[in-house]
Amino acid sequence: MATSTEAPKTVTLTTSDNADIQVEREVAERSILIKNLLEDLGGDSNEAIPIPNVNEAVMKKVLEWCEQHRKDPPASQDDDSDSRKKSTDIDEWDQKFMQVDQEMLFEIILAANYLDIKALLDVGCKTVANMIKGKSPDEIRKTFNIQNDFTPEEEDQIRRENEWAEDR
Amino acid sequence: MARSRRVERDTSASRSDTSASTSPERGIDDDNDSFMLQANDSQSSLAPSISPDFDEDTLQREIEERCRVSPISRLPAELMIAIFAKLSSPGDLKNCMLVSREWSRNSVGLLWHRPQTNKWASLKNVITTVRKVDSFFDYSSLIKRLNLSALGNEVSDGTLQPLSGCKRVERLTLTNCTKLTDLSLTAMLKDNRSLLALDVTGLDSITDKTMMALANNGVRLQGLNITNCKKISDESLEAVAHNCRHVKRLKLNGCSQLTDKSIIAFAMNCRYILEIDLHDCKNLEDESITTLITEGPHLRELRLAHCWRITDSAFLRLPPDATYESLRILDLTDCGELQDSGVQKIVQAAPRLRNLVLAKCRLLTDRAVLAITRLGKNLHYIHLGHCSRITDAGVSQLVKLCNRIRYIDLACCSNLTDNSVMQLATLPKLKRIGLVKCGNITDRSILALAKPKQIGHSGPVAPSVLERVHLSYCTNLTLQGIHALLNNCPRLTHLSLTGVQAFLREDLLVFCREAPPEFNDHQRDVFCVFSGIGVQRLRSYLNADSRIPVGSYDAEGTMFDESEEPEMILNVTAQANGMAIDEMDEEFGDGSEVMGQD
Repeated sequence: MATSTEAPKTVTLTTSDNADIQVEREVAERSILIKNLLEDLGGDSNEAIPIPNVNEAVMKKVLEWCEQHRKDPPASQDDDSDSRKKSTDIDEWDQKFMQVDQEMLFEIILAANYLDIKALLDVGCKTVANMIKGKSPDEIRKTFNIQNDFTPEEEDQIRRENEWAEDR
Repeated sequence: MARSRRVERDTSASRSDTSASTSPERGIDDDNDSFMLQANDSQSSLAPSISPDFDEDTLQREIEERCRVSPISRLPAELMIAIFAKLSSPGDLKNCMLVSREWSRNSVGLLWHRPQTNKWASLKNVITTVRKVDSFFDYSSLIKRLNLSALGNEVSDGTLQPLSGCKRVERLTLTNCTKLTDLSLTAMLKDNRSLLALDVTGLDSITDKTMMALANNGVRLQGLNITNCKKISDESLEAVAHNCRHVKRLKLNGCSQLTDKSIIAFAMNCRYILEIDLHDCKNLEDESITTLITEGPHLRELRLAHCWRITDSAFLRLPPDATYESLRILDLTDCGELQDSGVQKIVQAAPRLRNLVLAKCRLLTDRAVLAITRLGKNLHYIHLGHCSRITDAGVSQLVKLCNRIRYIDLACCSNLTDNSVMQLATLPKLKRIGLVKCGNITDRSILALAKPKQIGHSGPVAPSVLERVHLSYCTNLTLQGIHALLNNCPRLTHLSLTGVQAFLREDLLVFCREAPPEFNDHQRDVFCVFSGIGVQRLRSYLNADSRIPVGSYDAEGTMFDESEEPEMILNVTAQANGMAIDEMDEEFGDGSEVMGQD
């Protein structure tokens, strides 16, 4: 229950590849995981926070997003139903932010999930959804380099069983 | 390449038992589903020292290789499902199902959550697939929402019966599928323990059999709509009330066969009722209403329109000092026995009422209106149409003490004069006003409504936020007032002037909406309603016609400027669309205020 005035202004995060990153507490606290950890440690601790599931490159990228969105209002209670709303609109800064190679894109999504940053996870998922939209199964496989492990018979069966699913 | 392909087969084989378990709600199963991929996840950026020990180094290397070649395979099932959940089109989801085994397992639950059943061809395909014995997935267990209302009376028992194997349906909507009978309904309900909401509006042949099947199975039921199901009796509804104790929303409209018995059973057993609509349940008497209020601590919305037998005692019998803070919406339309003392008690017992509908409660006088003023800023919506005894004195007090009113209807309150409307015009949040057949009012009223509002005592002057104005049969009105209204209310989307002689001119009627088809010739002759684009066209026309003096108040930019029209219109639409959300915010705000006070 540390009050924010007593708390140190910056925190140190130790990434999976043992890099120490200094960051303002307000920025780091966009991550609910880090926020909870800091609260558990109490306000006066200067210990580095270990983030064993995220490497330096990804952490820096994630923190760049947190910096940009540091003043965003906290997620509302409706957030769950909101993310269910299937809009794939992404604001301009986030769109640019997400223009990275696929490896980084999925690492960001994994990190946002692990660090519990709902809004970033949401943007990540929307970005991937936009890469899927309007593509044929084959185009999707090419986009993400996925092997087709169906037999032609199975593929045909699924196609027939789901014939009703048309574009609205 | 061949090797990595073999690995994929291995991983999918190891998870084959969890296929078809990817519905978004089922988190535990999802975890099973993503076993292999979570290993991948830790692989991706875990420090080597923390990495779990795998005996099968080769397998691990192959997984690593696969993640390098196809980075998306790092994502566990739950994240793939989160991505698929962003796809709005079933077509896109179907394409995902055809990508690979893993993708199909992660998308099938979303696709089948609510299958498309709005067209015969799609419904037929869904039924065929569900009935197949050797289908690729167990589709019937994935359907959570089933809505056949678009096909209405084309749906027969033969249509619904094959879907009775779908035992996990949570929302079953059969509005106006009038051919359905107990036969298919009971089969549908039997053994379904997941049902949350059932809508059988207009299924007038279903009987107690269906309701007993619901009572015996629907332990999780929260919403029930049996509007106009006239063959359902008190008896089976009492059973529903006893067994389905989580019911929150009830619509029993038009079930005039029901008596206090079943309503009291709901009140006594279902303590979570939030909304109950008893429109046209003409047999209900005071006791059931009193019980609903005293026994329902969460009751938020109570609709009793046309429940003619209700009298003041329904409310006067409430315990003297008890208050019911949850009650926000009360509709007593056409409860003609209601008198001032009933309204006084209502306001005392439910001080946080937001919407109060007393239309056609013809015995009410200014005393009732004075009682209503005690609701203060809580009151947003008030309907007093046909309460023809009320006068300017009542309305003027109402405006003074309830200045957050957004909607007011005073149709046929024929005593009211310009004095009332000039008071009403000062309400800063007024969006809709109904003054149909208030025959005394003149252009003075309309000019007052058009006048920009001052925000607070010394705040800036803002244009009126009026959206809908109903002035039919206010026969004294002329073009001048309405022209000013049009030019000073940028959000105006509805303006009714039926029967007002000054507007029954060919050059104006071209902008008027089409009369409803059921209207007779006379009604057509006097019909005059402008809505949406019609309002804009009327405004432009009047502004372009130089013979008509331009009605405006000041030159401070509140005047509607022709040149900005397209932008303004977009704005108006956006604001109109945002309206419902605005209302919600408002309410949450009020709620937190209460919490603060406590």
